[in-house]
Amino acid sequence: MSTILEAFRLVMQTDVLLAILLASIYGLVVGSLPGLSATMATALLVPVTFYLSPIAAVATIIAASAMAIFCGDIPGALLRIPGTPASAAYTDEAYAMTRKGQPELALGICVWFSALGGIAGTLSLIVLAPPLAEMALNFSTYEYFWLAFLGLMCATMVARSSPVKAIASMLLGLLVSCVGIENPAGTPRFTFGSTDLLGGIEVIPALVGVFAVSEVMRAMLTAEPPKLPYRRFGSILKGQIALTKKYVAPQVRGNIVGIIIGVLPGAGADMAAWVSYSMSKRFSKEPKKFGTGHPEGLIEAGASNNASLASGWVPSLLFGIPGDTITAIAIGVLYMKGLNPGPTLFTERASSMYALYIIFIIANIIMIPLGIAMIRVAALVLRAPRASVMPVIVLLCAVGAFATGNNLFAVITVAAFGVIGYVMERNGYPVAAMVLGIVMGTMVEQSFVTSLIKSDGSILPFFSRPVAAVLASMTIAALLWPLGVWTWRLLRPWRAAAKSS
Amino acid sequence: MQLSDRVTGLFMVALGGLAAYGGSRLPPVPGQQIGPNVFPLVVGIGLAICGGMIAFGIGRGYEEEAEADLAKIQIATETGEAGHPHSWWRGLKVLVPPALLLFYVFAVDRVGFLPTAAVLVLITSLALGARLRLAVPVAIGAPLFVNLVFLKLLRVPLPSGLLPMPWLGLP
Repeated sequence: MSTILEAFRLVMQTDVLLAILLASIYGLVVGSLPGLSATMATALLVPVTFYLSPIAAVATIIAASAMAIFCGDIPGALLRIPGTPASAAYTDEAYAMTRKGQPELALGICVWFSALGGIAGTLSLIVLAPPLAEMALNFSTYEYFWLAFLGLMCATMVARSSPVKAIASMLLGLLVSCVGIENPAGTPRFTFGSTDLLGGIEVIPALVGVFAVSEVMRAMLTAEPPKLPYRRFGSILKGQIALTKKYVAPQVRGNIVGIIIGVLPGAGADMAAWVSYSMSKRFSKEPKKFGTGHPEGLIEAGASNNASLASGWVPSLLFGIPGDTITAIAIGVLYMKGLNPGPTLFTERASSMYALYIIFIIANIIMIPLGIAMIRVAALVLRAPRASVMPVIVLLCAVGAFATGNNLFAVITVAAFGVIGYVMERNGYPVAAMVLGIVMGTMVEQSFVTSLIKSDGSILPFFSRPVAAVLASMTIAALLWPLGVWTWRLLRPWRAAAKSS
Repeated sequence: MQLSDRVTGLFMVALGGLAAYGGSRLPPVPGQQIGPNVFPLVVGIGLAICGGMIAFGIGRGYEEEAEADLAKIQIATETGEAGHPHSWWRGLKVLVPPALLLFYVFAVDRVGFLPTAAVLVLITSLALGARLRLAVPVAIGAPLFVNLVFLKLLRVPLPSGLLPMPWLGLP
């Protein structure tokens, strides 16, 4: 009980509350502008978090990302252009409702069920984390190795791309993490004699490049989105309670799917929305209505992407394995703030963890009033010409990267990873997998090499401990999965031919 | 910058091969079988194998599914791109942001933050098709605002260079 009181004391500081409010407004604006994703909003926040207290720093990330994920629905519903990739799955559905003359209902669903989904995700974090932490205390390097490896494999399995390309991207990320002298022997590795590379490639500038610069590069070739016509909205929350009562099953399903996908490393809100929307269609009693402005899919997917956001913090806080790209950035911030991820976080810094839960709940509650306000002024915000927003983002990339280490080499890293991210995206290589590789590289290598040294080069102990064996078999299954599906597809025409003859 | 799978795949093979070779040449830790060479070796070989599979088009089927899903949304956002003929210099416009970042690295210590940032913002804005009426005010306002935020709120002094402005509280 005293820890909970202590947690409230930590959150109810002026700087923390102010940080939540300002970050929320920032998240709402960035999320609603098409072409600026929630991950980018988080990446650009990092330099600012340097100068905040640990709790305030984490609070800004939580608040900004939650708002941005909801706010991506606004241009989706009104313009048929998703504000963030997480809204892409149900943009058509929301826009169809607007065309039917129900924009209030569509946006109301988005804000109301986003908030409910976010709270469900937070509850999962509260319930799941402590028992997992208890278990994780018994883990040795073998388990951590398999866990990290499994995390990397999950990221490649759920990518919306060819699994081979996803694995290649992930390995590329691991290769990036090899640079520098932070390896088991402290030998300069792949530094090519450059002193700037001795410290390795910094994660934060690399992420800023991949998520922000490549986004601006893409904007160079796409047309400016059309302006939003000004319109007056009726009551936004009208009828939401009735919908909540009517669609209990889709909601619960959306929340659970969102939570599961959030926990899986590398799969985030956009994946959750895609899976939930198609699941909703499959299980619905009226699948024919989908695509014509039917609220069911919107409810399920809208709840799902916000639920995934909170549960993505579960593996991040427990093992330092990011649940999605947003928490990949958050992990960097946690390390900087002395809140090193790991099971001991829950035993030694329990009040900080409770504070985190409280922040999540506050952020999801204030999402409703702030979100409604944002919907009403959206026409104004979306009027900001892209040619004035994007240059500021490039500037923030440069200044922010510089400010993280007072080092101009970081700006070069940003530029280089902008190009890498852009080229990869264009050619179907999922960047999220690479980011995961970069973030987790050191951890994978350390647990791998330490385990090998402990076992004197034998691989038997990797499988002989019970938990390690379970994790190992899961990893190998994940590794063989694409191969299995591939052979299945190869055999399908042959089997069909056999059947018809 | 759309490249064929064969090109990117072979690039991965080359990169993986080089990484594995470079890794294997690293000095081992005396008296220890496992050193800094193992991880790059494993990753490099894995990358080369994946690159080979990509070059031979394995796993292409998944991408077509995902592309079909995305296509319906991208019609709405990318019509502008399809409308214009693809000239090579239009494609080069993509490189404007990273080039400007390199310019920033080169210029910020010599010329100072405000002029460098103004040039960066102006060029990005013009490249996105803004008129001077919009681009110039943004190019003047945004650097000043960013500088003030970093100096006053975050207490990070940015290089002042040729334009010291004591009246703004800038060094």
